[in-house]
Amino acid sequence: MSIFIRLSIVPFLLFSSLYSENKALAIPAQDGMIQVLTLRRDNTTRIRYPDALPSLLGLMNEHAQVSFDTFPLFIESLTDQRLFEHSILYINCDELPDFEFSTEENEALLRFMELGGFVYLDAGIKASFLGADLGHSYAAWEEREEVRQWFTQVVPGRSFTPLPRNHEIFRTFYQGLPDNKYLKLEEGQKRLPDTVLTFVEQEKWPQGTYSLVGIKMNGRLACVASPICAMGWGRDEFGAWLPPISFRIRESAENFDETLQVASFNGNTFEVTREDGLKDVIYQIPGQRPLWVQEPTGRWRIFKYYSGEEISNYAHSFYVRLGMNVFLYALLN
Amino acid sequence: MMLRLIFLSVFILQIQIWAEKGLSPVGPVQPNLAPDNQNTGSLTPVRTSPSHTVDEASRMLQSLRVEDRVGAAKLLGKYPGTQVCLLLVGALDDSSELVRRASVVSLVEQFNNGSFFNLGQPIYEKVFSKIGDPDVEVRREISGLIPRLAFRLVPSLNQRTLINGRMVYRTQPGYLRKDLRELANQAFRDTDPVVRQNMLKYHSSLRLVIGPDVLSKLLEDRDKGVLLEAIEQAQRYGSFEEIQKKFSELTQYPEVGVRIKLCKAAHLLSRSISYYRSILSKLSEDQASEVATLAILDLARLGQKISPSMINRVVNYLINAKGFFGHAENLFFSLPVLGSDALKVYKALLSHPSAKLRSESWAKYLLMVKAWEDPALWQDGLRDSDPQVREVILFTLRGRVQQAGVGQLDALLVSEYPEVRAFGAELLLVARDEVVRDKFFDFLIDENTLVRTVTLRVLAKRKFGNWVDLHVRSLSDDDLEIQKAAGDGLLGNPKEGLPLIKKFIKESPSTEISVYLQNELRKAGFSP
Repeated sequence: MSIFIRLSIVPFLLFSSLYSENKALAIPAQDGMIQVLTLRRDNTTRIRYPDALPSLLGLMNEHAQVSFDTFPLFIESLTDQRLFEHSILYINCDELPDFEFSTEENEALLRFMELGGFVYLDAGIKASFLGADLGHSYAAWEEREEVRQWFTQVVPGRSFTPLPRNHEIFRTFYQGLPDNKYLKLEEGQKRLPDTVLTFVEQEKWPQGTYSLVGIKMNGRLACVASPICAMGWGRDEFGAWLPPISFRIRESAENFDETLQVASFNGNTFEVTREDGLKDVIYQIPGQRPLWVQEPTGRWRIFKYYSGEEISNYAHSFYVRLGMNVFLYALLN
Repeated sequence: MMLRLIFLSVFILQIQIWAEKGLSPVGPVQPNLAPDNQNTGSLTPVRTSPSHTVDEASRMLQSLRVEDRVGAAKLLGKYPGTQVCLLLVGALDDSSELVRRASVVSLVEQFNNGSFFNLGQPIYEKVFSKIGDPDVEVRREISGLIPRLAFRLVPSLNQRTLINGRMVYRTQPGYLRKDLRELANQAFRDTDPVVRQNMLKYHSSLRLVIGPDVLSKLLEDRDKGVLLEAIEQAQRYGSFEEIQKKFSELTQYPEVGVRIKLCKAAHLLSRSISYYRSILSKLSEDQASEVATLAILDLARLGQKISPSMINRVVNYLINAKGFFGHAENLFFSLPVLGSDALKVYKALLSHPSAKLRSESWAKYLLMVKAWEDPALWQDGLRDSDPQVREVILFTLRGRVQQAGVGQLDALLVSEYPEVRAFGAELLLVARDEVVRDKFFDFLIDENTLVRTVTLRVLAKRKFGNWVDLHVRSLSDDDLEIQKAAGDGLLGNPKEGLPLIKKFIKESPSTEISVYLQNELRKAGFSP
């Protein structure tokens, strides 16, 4: 079934799925426009990428034949009754002043998910070594500690599990990584430096996938957590991406397995969970970007940082495609 | 053939022996090992000092093997220092592009950690000269570094001159070295669009002037990023006829984003160069409503009369906008430039599917028509299903409505939204006595607490009819909010209310409302 046909039946699918279990949830928005709920606390002091979600919703309207209201509906508390009038709740975890949720809020969230609602926890994955530096993301394969503790209260006894690379969410609308045609580059143009492209295609985002973890409810994926993706969704009024994004790439050299073991280092190490459940050891000097990584395979690799127009454009394209896949998956399921 | 196989087998065997002994034919760096556990005899490597690590890497940078040099160049990025910077700058001349790429990426790390700051102009010039490197990755990195290189590449000169016996200090602008200037000019025509775009973006920091022929060529660039940047930079060169011609041609460019950028640039240029008004006029007839709307509003800003058909295009664009974001948001807030014509746009948007756009339109519309003078103008809005729309309308009306009739109050009374009914109760304040007499009871028996409390407070404020009895009775209501409203009403009129409150406290001293009233009395300076 083509995506156009699938999306044209979204309202019906959504309607039937929500109503099949309980009649408490209704079709969102009016005049056919779908509104995405966003939790923004009253005392939020840092708004992370305020243009991101509206921009993504607008892009979905342009490309996916759906009708999202590009202005999200903000709620301050999960006990807001409007939660049950909509089906998608987006939370940027980096925006939350804290992870203090009342029992009533946790109960409401659980009920929302049980009734067919979908929760997207952006920045719900955040490696510990990133600390308070919000300008970084890192594809750890487990939810951040605060989210883990919060959801222990929301759904006791259940935990987030990594989504496999072949999960439908990664190919709901877009499949694979952006190519030159998608990026509007000439056919022969180098879209990324060689080492960057190799790492991205083989390890960072293979086949357009990313580190997502989720919780199922009644056999349905009800909550997804990802490293911060919103930073890749914003556009300025001319269609150029905002803000610039850099890449952190793992690079090897023939002698790094020996050299990096003995190279001078005076900092801290952090363990980060990998896709296979094993741990990478990150070497970082406080206040600086991570230097290198010791992988459980025994391999040592150095972190290199790439920035520039082509890097940023590529990253934005990826994050937008992933974001669209997640939201459209939420609509269809 | 047999001999070759035997030779190969022997070679593989030798490799395996080397591997078992921890050796390799190329002789890797041997880690210093220290006993980790004396019982097991296992060893952990000991980390070396920074100087030793850098020395080792600089030695590897001289290796004949490309792999060694690449590894060393990558590692050196992690150790800040001017010596390291010099090593990396030297490696920019390496014959292997892999080494040059690794070096330039490490150099960026050195720029980030501030190590480069102390180096002199020749080193900066050496780095910038790599804008002509045969490898595109190197050129891209160098072009991205221009803002950090510029201050040393074109340093200002301080000139000291003796004039009439007085020492006069003057600053003279610096210029890029001639050969580097030629390289930079070639970079505007680089085969790689990222380099071209960076050169455009940063050329002024190098005190370069782009010739109109070069800029015209860049305004034809097939890469959107380069084209957008060229339009941005063209604002400095708008007086050239070639640029004006290109702008005119770009009004037909297929991508909307480019035409929007063009519109913005033309708007800025039109303030000083009248030709660009004609560009805006062309764009105001653009097939994309978004572009046309932007151009129309820009023309209005310049004082041009806007025709009804143009207003219709603005309405058409905003009515079809999906939500209040981006262009729709920017253009919406630009509507006041249309003067009284904006009213038509606001009115059309009152039924927009986006709640945010509706609420913003209602706010503007109500103010423009002074809606508080005519209930017919706002009653429809209070039937909106979205709370933020109703909130905006109520916020605008509150305190401004001067009259309230029976029909008006009836309409509010039947509203399904409590805040609207509460607003109706508020309007009892400005209604005539006979209207209040006719309607207050309907509000007073409302199912919603807020409506009832507002009604009580209004009655107390107006001292309407037998309000005192009503308030005294309400002190015994089941709902604490009602009790508080009644208490506040009595406290606000101490002459009538005070004795009655004291009596109530005496009769029911331990109730929650009594405690509240006692506290309020104390705050007001009365003895409970």
